[in-house]
Amino acid sequence: MPSTRSFRYPLTWRLLDLAEEARRLLWPARWRRAVPYGLLLPAILLVGVIVAGLGYMADYSLRELDRSTFLLAEEYSLANFRTIAERPVYLRILWRSLLAAVIVTAICLVLAFPYAYMMVRTASPWARKALLIGLFLPFFIGQVVRAYGWLIVLGQQGLLNSALGWLGLGSVDVIYSYPGVLIGLVQYMLPFAVLMLAPAITAIPEDMELASQGLGARWPATLWHVVLPMAKPGLVAAGVVVFTITLTDFAIPEILGGGTTDFIANAIYDGFFAISDAGLGSALAVMLVALASFLVAVIFALVGVGTLGYVAERSR
Amino acid sequence: MSDPTKTPNRLVLPRRRLLKSTAIGAAALGFGRSLPALAQDEPAKPDEIIVRAWGGVWVDSLDAGVSQGFTEATGIAVRHDLTEDNELQPRIWAAVAQGRTPPIHVNWDTTTNATKSALRGVCEDLGDLANLEGLFPAAAPIGLDGFPIVNVYSYVYVLAYRDEVFPDGPPTSWNAMLEPRFRGRVALYDDGIGFHPVAQIAGGGTLEQIPDDMEPAWAWLERLREQEPLLGEDPDFTNWFQTGEIDLACTIISNAREARLNGIAVSWTVPEEGCKVDTDALWVPRGLPENETYWAKQYVDYALSAEAQQTWCNGLGLPPMRPGLTPPEDLAGDPAYPDSPEDFDRLIAVPTPILVEHESDWFARFNEIMQS
Repeated sequence: MPSTRSFRYPLTWRLLDLAEEARRLLWPARWRRAVPYGLLLPAILLVGVIVAGLGYMADYSLRELDRSTFLLAEEYSLANFRTIAERPVYLRILWRSLLAAVIVTAICLVLAFPYAYMMVRTASPWARKALLIGLFLPFFIGQVVRAYGWLIVLGQQGLLNSALGWLGLGSVDVIYSYPGVLIGLVQYMLPFAVLMLAPAITAIPEDMELASQGLGARWPATLWHVVLPMAKPGLVAAGVVVFTITLTDFAIPEILGGGTTDFIANAIYDGFFAISDAGLGSALAVMLVALASFLVAVIFALVGVGTLGYVAERSR
Repeated sequence: MSDPTKTPNRLVLPRRRLLKSTAIGAAALGFGRSLPALAQDEPAKPDEIIVRAWGGVWVDSLDAGVSQGFTEATGIAVRHDLTEDNELQPRIWAAVAQGRTPPIHVNWDTTTNATKSALRGVCEDLGDLANLEGLFPAAAPIGLDGFPIVNVYSYVYVLAYRDEVFPDGPPTSWNAMLEPRFRGRVALYDDGIGFHPVAQIAGGGTLEQIPDDMEPAWAWLERLREQEPLLGEDPDFTNWFQTGEIDLACTIISNAREARLNGIAVSWTVPEEGCKVDTDALWVPRGLPENETYWAKQYVDYALSAEAQQTWCNGLGLPPMRPGLTPPEDLAGDPAYPDSPEDFDRLIAVPTPILVEHESDWFARFNEIMQS
């Protein structure tokens, strides 16, 4: 005989109904279109803070320091930018920073690609774990500590010179020089490049490489005609990240440069702190931001923003 | 009478005057005067005060000589903030400008930097401190009204050298830095501080030409640039001597002495061209709560007392601003520890107003040469 007991609405369902009603009151359906904008809010706030800071920098850059009071002048002028233009040292430092950014980016991409490729494609889980540890370990050690590590390795009484001395080969002066700074920067930037490249290589189906080889292509031809073109988004992203961080780096030139191999960030620091001239420091900072932004824009113009996947998304 | 703000001068006459007044001043002070008797209605004590300091031997000496004694006398803990003076300065300036509480209570600063802060109007007046009485005249700031800052000791930028590279005795001239065997093995401060007047003399110029004609200094520095010098801060010099990176350095005597006390075979000398002598200062930023300002000023007052100056300055190996104290045994009679007019005769002093006005230009030129 069928039960005559009526269905009892569970308490949890009632609570869920209440919660749904509350949500409807707090966030009516007509507001649903605002959800994506709400999700953008943190990013907008973050960028807003940066833009506000840049606004202050731009303002300071147009005010000259009054050395009788050490206050920035009330009236605007281009004096700080004139100072930068008139002192060849800033052009020299700018050129040194740009050249380093190009060299470090090129070396990092060349070294990072095989590392990332092996990490993604290796069949051995142990090898993958070892490569992952090798990738992430440097992130646990700060930039300053790593730079000091190079002092220990490359210094006059460091490991390298001890080994050379033991072999009777004399000593080499690598530290406190431009090559020393480049070595430190490559070691610092390499994990960033691998981290940017690995997802791009992961996104390349291994079948594509097998198909290429199945059609008779040797491995170098497959690499050149299949893997590298398909890894282009990762190469561009890694290149942009490495280039911009190198261009704006402070600690490595400061520690490994011996004081005579400054980059633009060191000159900005000196403007703000060594000579107490926030106007000149801001002018240099504005110049660096403008230059880095322009160069990144040029890179995207040359290789296309589509390399980062936006075009593919749009064309669906 | 020449205007001391226009041309560099040596600290001979002020020193002679102050040495004569030493006995009177010391007697008037009762020599051991430290904190003045505190009134019953003294302001509320903060739990701690924050004092900016340099690291290494600098903060150790301050702690042993001043901070510990101040805490014992008042019960107020002292925390040392080791942020670089150049980095803290804009933060204090910004705090005062924006009406916020400054990040520290007492700033231990170079006199040049401290003077910039005083010119900007961010310093409390220290003129009512009891222990200002009886100090050497050099304790008073130059070109400022009253006592927005107080100089606490003198120091000398010596030529420090590794003993083994000069087995026949110390180098007699700064030109030793130009010897080919020292290529890549000489060091200076990274802003050239302490070196400009010395380079002027070593380059064949005169002190009277400063600041109008510094070409001899720049020409000499260009020759030095070919030696590929290392440029650093206080701790770098001790470290570089320790790791065998350098043989010669222009550095404050305290750093060379610290290296020697650490067992490194390093000595120092005052070459025939002389060495630059300068001072450091203490000051209290404006914008602190009233009671904290009071106790910060009491800290400065205690730092000027005989007992604090004795321990603090002996730890640093620097001549104090209070007369009649005993020099450290290892520095007695050392020309780099000037405590007589003859010692100061061999040293070079550039008036603070000239340093304040021209330091940026000198730094720019120094940087132009060293970054080439």
